[in-house]
Amino acid sequence: MADRPYLWLLPVALLLGAFYVVPVADVVRLSFSDATLLRPADSFGLQSWSVTLGADGLGGILWNTAEFTLLSVLGLQLAGLGVALLLARGDRRGLRGMTVLRTVVLAAWVIPGIANGLIWQMLFSEAPFGAVNSTLALMGLPRVAWLSDPGNAMLSAVIANIWQGTAFSMIVFYAARSAIGPRLYEAAEVDGAGAGAQFLYITLPQMKGAILVNSVIVTIQTLNTFDSILALTGGGPGRATEVLSLHIFNLVFTNFDLAGGSVLALVLVAISTVLTLIYIAVLAARR
Amino acid sequence: MSPRAADIATYVAAILLAALFLAPLTWLVSLALRMPQEVYLGAARFVPESPTLDNFVQILTDRAFGSYLWNAVKLCALGAFGAVVVATPAAYAFSRMRFRGRLPLMLAILLVQMISPLVVLIPLYRYMDRIGLLDTHLSVIGVYMALGVPLAVWLLKAAFDTIPPSLEEAAAIDGCSRPEILLRITLPLAAPGLASAFILNMIMGWSQFLVPFILLTGDGKLPISVAIFNFAGSTSASTTQLLAAACLVAVVPALACFVALQRMIVRAITAGAVKG
Repeated sequence: MADRPYLWLLPVALLLGAFYVVPVADVVRLSFSDATLLRPADSFGLQSWSVTLGADGLGGILWNTAEFTLLSVLGLQLAGLGVALLLARGDRRGLRGMTVLRTVVLAAWVIPGIANGLIWQMLFSEAPFGAVNSTLALMGLPRVAWLSDPGNAMLSAVIANIWQGTAFSMIVFYAARSAIGPRLYEAAEVDGAGAGAQFLYITLPQMKGAILVNSVIVTIQTLNTFDSILALTGGGPGRATEVLSLHIFNLVFTNFDLAGGSVLALVLVAISTVLTLIYIAVLAARR
Repeated sequence: MSPRAADIATYVAAILLAALFLAPLTWLVSLALRMPQEVYLGAARFVPESPTLDNFVQILTDRAFGSYLWNAVKLCALGAFGAVVVATPAAYAFSRMRFRGRLPLMLAILLVQMISPLVVLIPLYRYMDRIGLLDTHLSVIGVYMALGVPLAVWLLKAAFDTIPPSLEEAAAIDGCSRPEILLRITLPLAAPGLASAFILNMIMGWSQFLVPFILLTGDGKLPISVAIFNFAGSTSASTTQLLAAACLVAVVPALACFVALQRMIVRAITAGAVKG
């Protein structure tokens, strides 16, 4: 019986071809054109690249993107690692009820990004019904301008993102921690290593691969999503929380600047590609 | 620290973390159960004096909200179903056949996910406009299928890998062709894998905002995610309790589905994550 594997792959190839390969190729073409959302391309050249990359606000946008992404990734990894290790410890000691923590963390993850932004807007709201501020006031502490102060707004967006995204890192780290053999810890115990030393010399080195892989995946996810920011701050105040993906969205669908949006979309793809190559290199090194 | 003291510390940390992660949702519930005038009392009235379901009644009896919910279910169910159908033959080939380019192709399918939906939506908006599919559910379902197919291929391949080929060989001796074997023997055995791929895709589709936001304009066609965003833009502080109720209505189906099927979903994600 002769197998024809490529025939079996045809449906996926057609679907991904139509919805990914052709559009991405078209984005490259559009980036060299003068097309707008309402008008097809007339002429081609490097102009949209030089105009878009030379635009005044771009530096600020990239800075916001870097700040949002780095803080989010750092927070997501720390929170994910913390919860995962706590769950793993509960497992080893047979502590009851620890799965409640896992369920609660995972629950945040299935909440739609747009709802996440709206929920945190109600929490950080500076109106009387804002949860955080009215709690601070109850405790006699001063209120904080969570969303109207540019610096705080970024922090608020990061917190909302961490709340929702911790689950993914938690699952990855939990799986990685479970894969470490108990023998290593038993040997360390015999040698008199305390909990801190065991963490530093066994847990962290053994989980190095998982941490690297997770940072790349989480970074790409953070770069590519903006629905929670859109709902939380709309990119404001001013442009304080306008990250690259939100900026591309605004450029194309509000300003109709198809060519400029395509240029920056390619910049986004380029960043993801570099990170992906690192990911593949890490995976290859682990084999 | 003695193991006993460490256990207590573990519990304390777990309870604190769980409370922290639960706080936003409890606040949402608290707001949604309040009368309009109580909303202004903030955290001082965390437990409403006379909890009311009026806000939910108002949202759920609104005919537009019913259609938003129905649209969301329809879009994410058909998108997930389509993704699983398209992914099945490919996953089967990756699992059972050995051919040139097998590993690179599998990796390529995985890496497609690294491209932001926003990037492909820029030209897709124009294509859909040109072929008259803008503002139709068909266009959104098509994009959902494409977004979900990479994950579906990987999950289904993992599911097929766990089914012993010997079962299929017996059928092959009886003269069954590959497609017959897949339909009659492999797929029924892979039912749990098919289900988890379908459900994970549905949850992803339920969360989707960007795709319907860009491709749909008619209010009667919008799914709940876009609807609550528009609703938030049109509400003022005096209707915060309604927005909270609407958010809960948008969130609860996904939460309920997830909590009911948690074990299956975690297993599916772990299988994917561990294999890279």
